[in-house]
Amino acid sequence: MSQPRSSYAVGTGLFIVLGFAALAYLATQTTSIANVHQGASYTVDAHFADIGQLKDRAPVKIAGVRVGQVQSISLAPGQDAADVKLSIDTRYDRIPLDSVASIYTSGLLGDQYIGIEYGHSKKVVANGGTLALTKPAQQLEAMLSKFFGAGGVADNLGGTYSVTARFNNVGTLSVGAPVKMAGVPIGSVQSVQVDPVKLDAKVTLAIDKRYDQIPDDSAAAVFTSGLIGTQYVAIQPGGSPDVLKNGDQLILTQSAMQLEDLIGKFLVNGSSNGSSKPSTTPSGKH
Amino acid sequence: MKPRTGIGGNLIVQSLAQIGSGGLFLLTLLAAIPRSLRYFRETLRQLWFVGAMSLTIIMVCGLFVGMVLMLQLYHVLSIFGGTSASGMVVALSVYRELGPVVTALLFAGRAGTSITAEIGLMRATDQIDAMEMMAVDPIAYVATPRFLAGLIAMPLLTCVFCAMAIFGGHLVGVTWLGIDNGTFWSNMTAVVDLRTDIVNGVLFKSLAFGTVVSLIAVYQGFATPPTSEGVAYATTRTVVASSIAILAIDFVLTAFLM
Repeated sequence: MSQPRSSYAVGTGLFIVLGFAALAYLATQTTSIANVHQGASYTVDAHFADIGQLKDRAPVKIAGVRVGQVQSISLAPGQDAADVKLSIDTRYDRIPLDSVASIYTSGLLGDQYIGIEYGHSKKVVANGGTLALTKPAQQLEAMLSKFFGAGGVADNLGGTYSVTARFNNVGTLSVGAPVKMAGVPIGSVQSVQVDPVKLDAKVTLAIDKRYDQIPDDSAAAVFTSGLIGTQYVAIQPGGSPDVLKNGDQLILTQSAMQLEDLIGKFLVNGSSNGSSKPSTTPSGKH
Repeated sequence: MKPRTGIGGNLIVQSLAQIGSGGLFLLTLLAAIPRSLRYFRETLRQLWFVGAMSLTIIMVCGLFVGMVLMLQLYHVLSIFGGTSASGMVVALSVYRELGPVVTALLFAGRAGTSITAEIGLMRATDQIDAMEMMAVDPIAYVATPRFLAGLIAMPLLTCVFCAMAIFGGHLVGVTWLGIDNGTFWSNMTAVVDLRTDIVNGVLFKSLAFGTVVSLIAVYQGFATPPTSEGVAYATTRTVVASSIAILAIDFVLTAFLM
């Protein structure tokens, strides 16, 4: 009777050991624990005007290499800057006092992390010290408006002339959106209206007077900058010897592409995986 | 511990009676834990039976679940050019849902039914009554060791299942479909969290499922009508009730833990 019992015991023991081994494997190899360096660390403060989506335990990186993590994020009452405590590995204890801590986003949609760029000071940050120089998280909206805020450029230069263009669909084009030629801002959208008779959109473009050599058969198209960017009007020059004058109308226009249409087309084509020609896909182009 | 009420009895009253007597039975089982410590070897034997003997099916199923999950995800994510995220999605879906749920369903089918059938047959052949005659407490000797064994075995089996699923996902994703090995692991480790995914997802859920499945199996065994037909009926009930309970509790737990 003792023989089978001991085999039970051995089998059960093996089972328990295997179960705990699997647990240890899951917990240490496949979780964020695998990223955490267990060594000693020291704490550094940094104050940010805007932390964006930064979370506790977000990585702290120097030159893209993980050197620590965010320990805590707090906002002291009466202050307008978030106090972020960084826990940095003691191996990296030579960070100059005038280094800059910035909040970055990994990729377009990724999580945010703190990047530290070294300064030139001889003094280094001690445990409990503060990194005085910080750059807040960049808000996408602010970046886009900086990047595409071309209307201001044209306005600053003074004189503009107006041309109109008619579109079946302007998408989300708004007043003040840039007008670009060859990618360079040359003006801005002055007004977007629906023509009550023709039932299409009438867009008035204010173009800088310096660019007065645009052929009058040029085409206007509503494009989107990047995947999620704002929309702008692109002028594609034609070949006519005559140039656009104030009050002229652009005849050739291309309306805004709807992302839904594009994705729909893309998915239908993607699922057929190139085995059939695009023209034979069930969704007809229009 | 009355078994079912009469034929055609009010369904709601019947189900309430089932839940109530099941709850009371759980209290009886828990109260019998100190007494059942004397039968430690019996608990060990049951652990060997419901745990170690279930390893084969759990490991094979875990491997295939991980493999098929990776295969499906790869083909969907390749449309969006996001195949590098597939390792992470496999890990999250296995830890949070598939691991505990599929293990519990397999456990109900593999171990729950045999517990019910064994106890039911003991009842049908008057072995339970014989134990009482010999002053052996059947709850402490038969019920509690099986209940405890299920309780201990479920989290361990779920861990093995999850590890095998990750291994299967790695096998298909990295070895076969050519996802980069470093990307596979770094995406996974960047997202999977020890507390929310491993402790709350794997351990807590599987412990809850282990309690429910073991309780239902043992309870149905004791509630078996002492006939051969009754044993068949009780075994079926164990699987049906366990499956419903697992999925319902899974929803409630997910709603609370997320």
